Amino acid sequence: MDLVFFAQDCINGVLMGLIYGLVALGLTLIFGVLKVINFAHGSFIMVGMYVSYWAVTLTGLHPYLALGIIVPAMFLFGYWIQNLLIRPIFIAERDVREPITVIVVTTGMWYVLDNLALLVFGPDYRALSPNPLKGQMLNFGEIFISVPKLYGAAAAVATAGLLFWFLQKTRMGRAIRATSLDRDAASLMGINQWKIFNIAMGIGTAVAGVAGAVLTPFYNVYPTVGIPFDVKSFVIVVLGGLGSIWGALVGGVIIGLVESIGPIFMTSTWTEAIVYGLFLLVLFVKPSGLFGQKHDW
Amino acid sequence: MTQNELKRNCLIGLALAAFALPLVVSSPTYLHILIMLFLFAYMTTSWNLVGGFAGVLPLGHSVFVGIGAYTSTVLWLQYGVSPWIGMIIGGLLSAAVGYLIGKPTLKMRGAYFALSTMAFVEGVRVMVENIDMLGPFKLNGPRGLNIPPLPAQEAGFWSFQFATKEPYYYIALTMLILVLALTYYISHSKFGYYLKSGGEEPEAAQALGVNVASCKVAANVLSAFLTSLAGTFLAQLTLFIYPKSVLTLDLSFELAFIALIGGRGSIAGPVIGALLLRPVSEFSRIYFSDTLPGLHLIILGVVLIVVMLYQPRGLTEPLLGLFDRITAGFIRKPQEDTV
Repeated sequence: MDLVFFAQDCINGVLMGLIYGLVALGLTLIFGVLKVINFAHGSFIMVGMYVSYWAVTLTGLHPYLALGIIVPAMFLFGYWIQNLLIRPIFIAERDVREPITVIVVTTGMWYVLDNLALLVFGPDYRALSPNPLKGQMLNFGEIFISVPKLYGAAAAVATAGLLFWFLQKTRMGRAIRATSLDRDAASLMGINQWKIFNIAMGIGTAVAGVAGAVLTPFYNVYPTVGIPFDVKSFVIVVLGGLGSIWGALVGGVIIGLVESIGPIFMTSTWTEAIVYGLFLLVLFVKPSGLFGQKHDW
Repeated sequence: MTQNELKRNCLIGLALAAFALPLVVSSPTYLHILIMLFLFAYMTTSWNLVGGFAGVLPLGHSVFVGIGAYTSTVLWLQYGVSPWIGMIIGGLLSAAVGYLIGKPTLKMRGAYFALSTMAFVEGVRVMVENIDMLGPFKLNGPRGLNIPPLPAQEAGFWSFQFATKEPYYYIALTMLILVLALTYYISHSKFGYYLKSGGEEPEAAQALGVNVASCKVAANVLSAFLTSLAGTFLAQLTLFIYPKSVLTLDLSFELAFIALIGGRGSIAGPVIGALLLRPVSEFSRIYFSDTLPGLHLIILGVVLIVVMLYQPRGLTEPLLGLFDRITAGFIRKPQEDTV
């Protein structure tokens, strides 16, 4: 085995892993505040990819400039979904910390969104066009790096940093953190927890939109595109610790490395089984993940 | 006649009507729809043992369907073992898997348990898709296994193959009635009470000396065994199985959806859920699958969301309430203690 190939696989794994981390970031943020797992997260990624596909196709903007359209649209989408569908459950099941009904409703959303996309856009695989990043490669000696993936990884780190800053330093971020620590105490301090929940869901969905925009330049868009990302996001957030921003990125990189280095030793389809095995192992051994807080589990 | 007697008579009447139905319905298409309805009611009732009574949300029951389907098919194709025996072997295998996977996962809380069952079924599907030969057993990877149909005169009870749909109908109906009776027995037994108490208030149940974790594992083992039998039936009905047909999240989710819409934790819930949802699935698949693909899943999702928002305990309770109100005029003396 050639060392150059190995280095190439490692770089690819890290880049793709950071993008996976970005994909899972919205999920972990929503969990951190609402303490529920959004099973429709993959569908939110899918919606984000379609929004970015249409934003680029209709306006001809650069995919990264189109974020100016995608992020607000996705924020409103998440805010609206939370307000319409999930808030009533929280109100109805006030005393349950982690109502199972929310899992069910988000699973229902997953089905509705995926199949609505199938109904409206058809089963076609759509590639972004105009796509200024298409197939671009950076070349260092014998190592090739895909430009859209490099940008995507940079966007992942930037988004995570921005989110971290927002949660730590701004007034709204402090209110969100207070709500995630203790809803009732936060309410007593004059924080409107329903508004915080809506905003947290909106931000989580907007981050899913960023992930969608990052993915579309090198990944086809189709109605069920969310499913592989859905299950992968669950694996990543559990690995990194539910609710932890940096945990999501680290978890993503681990999965990315397994997927890119694994095929050297075995058939590439087997790596997927290894990812699930790893996931179950973490759940059995350390369910709070690498960076999760004990009481969240 | 009291309310309870009326209900019992209605149930007996329904069962008799179900047995007599093939005399009237002869179209294989409609019989197939009914068979699938019974089969889904059966699988959901099995799911309900752990998903309903034990108060967790398993989203990986298709693993057991897959084990049942693959075990009996492999044994029949390679060794000529009757699918009936394969059914039992598959069931025992599923029960063992149900124990091994239930033991660590059932200790987890809601979402973690749901996630781990999902990951398990996806992992098993990926593995089966990658394995052509598992030791001496031929699984044939993603291409699946085809059971060559026997000529009509050789088909029969031993080979679990029938030229007409009627025998399948009666087998499915019998399976459903038996599993319902078993659920009724369990829900009125000590084990059933332990299970329900552990599902609703685990801490309180533990304080009273109920071993909640082992009750849940036992329920999972039983549920795995029963679900697996349906897998064998499904394989013999369709004569073709592949990983994406029996080992999918879609199947697992459909079982959970039927139970949740019908009313998890009630005996009638899965049957009512299947009665309401299967026809929607089948007919929209028959009539709209070309023009409006995925319509039945949209309907399923919307119904699920609406039911969860307005009747989080499922549709069985309001429907039974309606039944009581309608029949209140026919009975002599309504009793206080009606269920």
